Amino acid sequence: MSDASPAARFWAEFRESRTAVIALAVVVLMIGIALLAPLVAPQNPYDLANLSLSDARRPPGYVGEGGYTHWLGTDAQGRDLLSAILYGLRISLQMGLVAGALAFTLGVALGIGAAYAGGRREAFIMRVIDLQLAFPAILLALVLSALLGQGKLQLIAALAAAQYAYFARTAHGAASAERGKDYVEAVLSTPLPGWRVVWRHIFPNCLPPLIVVATVQVANAIALEATLSFLGVGLPVTEPSLGMLISNGFQYMLSGRYWISIYPGIALIILIVAINLVGDRIRDQVNPRLKR
Amino acid sequence: MSEAPLLEVTDLTTHFHARAGVVKAVDGVSFALKRGEVMGLVGESGSGKSITGFSIIGLIDPPGRVEPGSSVKLEGRELTGLPPAELRKVRGKQISMVFQDPMMTLNPMLTIGTQIRLALEAHETVSGAEARRRAVAALAQVRIPDPEAKVDFYPHQFSGGMRQRVAIAIALLHRPKLIICDEPTTALDVSVQAEILAEMKELVAELGTALIWISHDLAVVAELADHVCVMRHGKIVEAGPTPDVLTHPQHPYTQALLDALPSRSEPGTLLAGGVGSDVAPPPRAVKQAPPAVADAVHYVRIEHVAKRFAQTPGIFRKLAQKAGLSKPPSAVQAVDDVTLVLKRGEALGLVGESGSGKSTLGRVAAGIYAPDSGSVRIDGAPVMSAGEPPHKVTTRVQTIFQDPFASLNPRMTVGDSIAEGPLAHELVERAQAKDYVRQWLAAVGLNPDFADRYPHQFSGGQRQRVAIARALAMQSDVVVCDEPVASLDVSIQAQIINLLIRLRQELDLTLIFISHDLSVVRHLCDRVAIMYRGKIVESGPAGEVYDHPQHDYTKRLLAAVPVLPGAVTT
Amino acid sequence: MLGHVAVRLAQALVVMLVMSVLVFVGVYAIGNPIDVLIGPDVSQELRLQTIAHYGLDRPLWEQYLTFLARVLHGDFGRSFVFGMPVMELILSRLPATLELTLAAVCGAALIGIPAGIYAGYRPDSFASKLIMTVSILGFSVPTFWIGLVLIMAFAVELQWLPAGGRGETVSIFGVEWSFLTLNGLSHLLLPALNLAFFKLALMTRLARAGTRETMLSDTVKFARAAGLSEWTVLRRHVLRLIAIPLVTVLGLEFGSTLAFAVVTETIFSWPGIGKLIIDSIQSLDRPVMVAYLMLVAFVFITINFLVDLAYVGLDPRLRKGGAR
Repeated sequence: MSDASPAARFWAEFRESRTAVIALAVVVLMIGIALLAPLVAPQNPYDLANLSLSDARRPPGYVGEGGYTHWLGTDAQGRDLLSAILYGLRISLQMGLVAGALAFTLGVALGIGAAYAGGRREAFIMRVIDLQLAFPAILLALVLSALLGQGKLQLIAALAAAQYAYFARTAHGAASAERGKDYVEAVLSTPLPGWRVVWRHIFPNCLPPLIVVATVQVANAIALEATLSFLGVGLPVTEPSLGMLISNGFQYMLSGRYWISIYPGIALIILIVAINLVGDRIRDQVNPRLKR
Repeated sequence: MSEAPLLEVTDLTTHFHARAGVVKAVDGVSFALKRGEVMGLVGESGSGKSITGFSIIGLIDPPGRVEPGSSVKLEGRELTGLPPAELRKVRGKQISMVFQDPMMTLNPMLTIGTQIRLALEAHETVSGAEARRRAVAALAQVRIPDPEAKVDFYPHQFSGGMRQRVAIAIALLHRPKLIICDEPTTALDVSVQAEILAEMKELVAELGTALIWISHDLAVVAELADHVCVMRHGKIVEAGPTPDVLTHPQHPYTQALLDALPSRSEPGTLLAGGVGSDVAPPPRAVKQAPPAVADAVHYVRIEHVAKRFAQTPGIFRKLAQKAGLSKPPSAVQAVDDVTLVLKRGEALGLVGESGSGKSTLGRVAAGIYAPDSGSVRIDGAPVMSAGEPPHKVTTRVQTIFQDPFASLNPRMTVGDSIAEGPLAHELVERAQAKDYVRQWLAAVGLNPDFADRYPHQFSGGQRQRVAIARALAMQSDVVVCDEPVASLDVSIQAQIINLLIRLRQELDLTLIFISHDLSVVRHLCDRVAIMYRGKIVESGPAGEVYDHPQHDYTKRLLAAVPVLPGAVTT
Repeated sequence: MLGHVAVRLAQALVVMLVMSVLVFVGVYAIGNPIDVLIGPDVSQELRLQTIAHYGLDRPLWEQYLTFLARVLHGDFGRSFVFGMPVMELILSRLPATLELTLAAVCGAALIGIPAGIYAGYRPDSFASKLIMTVSILGFSVPTFWIGLVLIMAFAVELQWLPAGGRGETVSIFGVEWSFLTLNGLSHLLLPALNLAFFKLALMTRLARAGTRETMLSDTVKFARAAGLSEWTVLRRHVLRLIAIPLVTVLGLEFGSTLAFAVVTETIFSWPGIGKLIIDSIQSLDRPVMVAYLMLVAFVFITINFLVDLAYVGLDPRLRKGGAR
């Protein structure tokens, strides 16, 4: 027995998986790089002064006019691809995290609220959620972003609207299970005010499964944003996320200039795989049926 | 008695190799079993008794391992170290096993007949018709009525007792020489347990099967076993013929186990094992000074309480019901017009089997559920408000629950759990809260420094002490105890019972004590009420009801309780 | 049982009705469709005429009722872009998408479920770790990017398979199918693989999780204690116990595969409804959008309904009365 709080115990168990720790380190590193992109990127890819069309579509390792080596090559506008990827990462992560946070807040409020309220209100809210879950998220995001128009805020709204239902479903399931537990009945019999029961008792104990969903959904939001941008209904051209970079390179792919599409794709995949690996570990950790 | 033993276990050692270190679950166990002999393997949780059973049939999952040097010989043939395929031929054929929870062992997706056929095919080649015939015969053997029809049933169509009979039928299919039963009646009601015990006794006598009966319950083992082994910390501390061990135990541990049983002590006295505390609880806050009691004789009044659980059908379901396409969902009348009155300071035992509605009644009394009709009043004041939805308006009644692992919020320190209610209701100032919690922890026999710990750092008994402190820190007068000792080991159970006896006297508490265990209720309560299908069928002073039961159900219930040799019969 | 079906059917109808309201309001109320219908330079008179012609001057609820009445007759209006009835347009594109989706879902289930069961049965073996690595990749890598890589590898570099189109088709009952000719199959392979990848990963993970949990259950322990062989335990017990979540996801995923076909069809120029909807979204061809969304909603609700019936077939607890 250790003297640790549940959070510290959780971390100690998490640490037992080397893969998960490496994945978490990668996620943290990528978030760090994204935040510091303007400082660590070799070039500001969107400063027109740096661009020259004679540098366009050069393969990796090409030494540009300024004597600068483009390790990952350049894109159609002659931008340094590495720098473009770092900036793109920043936009992709921002979209994923903000949309994820928004969906989390909305979904958890609805899900736990429904579980606590019970009765007809619960039935109605969950019916609507189920209805939406039956509809594929990508389609919803596609239609919403088409209808709302292009733009960062619009896309975040579309992504959050497509994803909050997953949080609501999980929060509702977890909160219903917690609500029936003895410790909640004990505080109900104290009695304590409803908001306190929800906020201090039910919500913290619903967190583990919600964290799992959050990892999956942030990863999904990033992939979804990339997909929408690839399809041309996501971000405007002024916000070149990783998806946009891939999309821009697509037309050169058939002519063998693979790097313009492939390297941003690899960055995207490393990010998503790392987030999913972290989520996988937590999923195994919080699954009581795997504990003997 | 020169007959060679059927089973000879020598120096059986099973270790679990975890990252944190090696757990010696079974640590050098040796015993021998003759043909047709019934052996009881008794111990508290964590003693290694179940692992011993699984080790014998070679069903230990990694990271567990039967260590080298262990020997399990069946009719002289060594079983440890056999290749998996060889061991599989022994399982079910020569040694079979019955598990604790019949709700979990049978596959809900397959009919009973299919599951029996699969078990048959594991060791013989049988035709479909032959398999069916044998399945019907197997069900008939374990006294399942109408086996011809039942063979096509799915597990969910059976009660718990019937499912356990099916599991026993499967275990008996190939006429094994030995059956290992791992707490097979623990999950069942006492009356069902009595039936299964009686049948098991007959069956093993009839078939000449040897039996290892693993249990925590000395009285159950006493009913059945010729021979008893008492286990503790992975070792057998005492073994011998059942009557000898239970009446003249040699080992102090066995003695302590027996002394901790309420059925062997005078009602109301402290049990062996101590209280673990002689610290007085903190005084009441001035604000919550005990109000002058208006009516001490009718202190708690539960009047015409009814509670029904039914799914509210959606609009389509309702229409379909009207059109006769769909049946209305079966509602459960959990509590059906119950009236009970408690004197101040009285302890009432609420006894019943699972599904009798006793827990629901307890939760209504504690203000956790609002009753559909009727009311609960404490000293004239209602427990629930009249509004819609009704909510609890008093802090004078609190609850202690069964499962110590679920009754505390795992993400709060126990100090915060205890202080939360008193702070919210201003029974204690924030500045004094820490001291208040420490005083309560001391009063329930815990180290006051434990206030900063989380529930997972405590054992089951310690958590139950915390739960008691939390309920009493609300300065309650009435406490509803819902099976508070049911999931605890005998020795821990005795300590908690002692603690309740002491605190009840010191604080003049009125107790509603819900339990399925007649001996615990007899020990702790002044009065009992027997509950059956939502109704109170009989109530009265404890001694009177136990000695001269009036209602048929009470008589059956009392007759079903296994009795230890040497128990105090009142 | 009959009552159950009737209730589910009634619920499905209401859901369909609600969907139609949402889709109609969503698509028609946002933005002004008239701007798409006619150029900005037409006269005010013609403009008003057009508005009146499409009934856009009437209150929204009246427009909706008109819309609903027409939909009930199978009339979704005419496509602004293609100038042909939407129903006809969609029906002509639907078989291509169905063919692609079915191939992907069946392939994913046939490979993913056995792989997942194996990985759950022997979680520590090398093969299981390999399976799980592939599945986490499949779960993570966006569909469109896999499509790009497939094209680059098999169409551009190796030149084994075509990069787009449906290839030769065979007509059965007036509907064109690719999978019946070798050339058509070669065109189908890459897009189906692309679309199946995510589902494959999902099926594998689901089957693995279910198997791992089931292998630790008392049911399996009891079966082993009765001497059943490992193969029988897997085939008769584990498979039955994990079937329900698998069927649920299989059903739901069929729907989402239909949606993800949008991406695959765009990349591989597969002439299905996914390609159509992307084009329509970009040109704001509202009648096509409405019809497509209604179609997807309909497919979804139908699948949910079928999955619900499948439960009753799979789970005996729903079939006969409860515990006595």
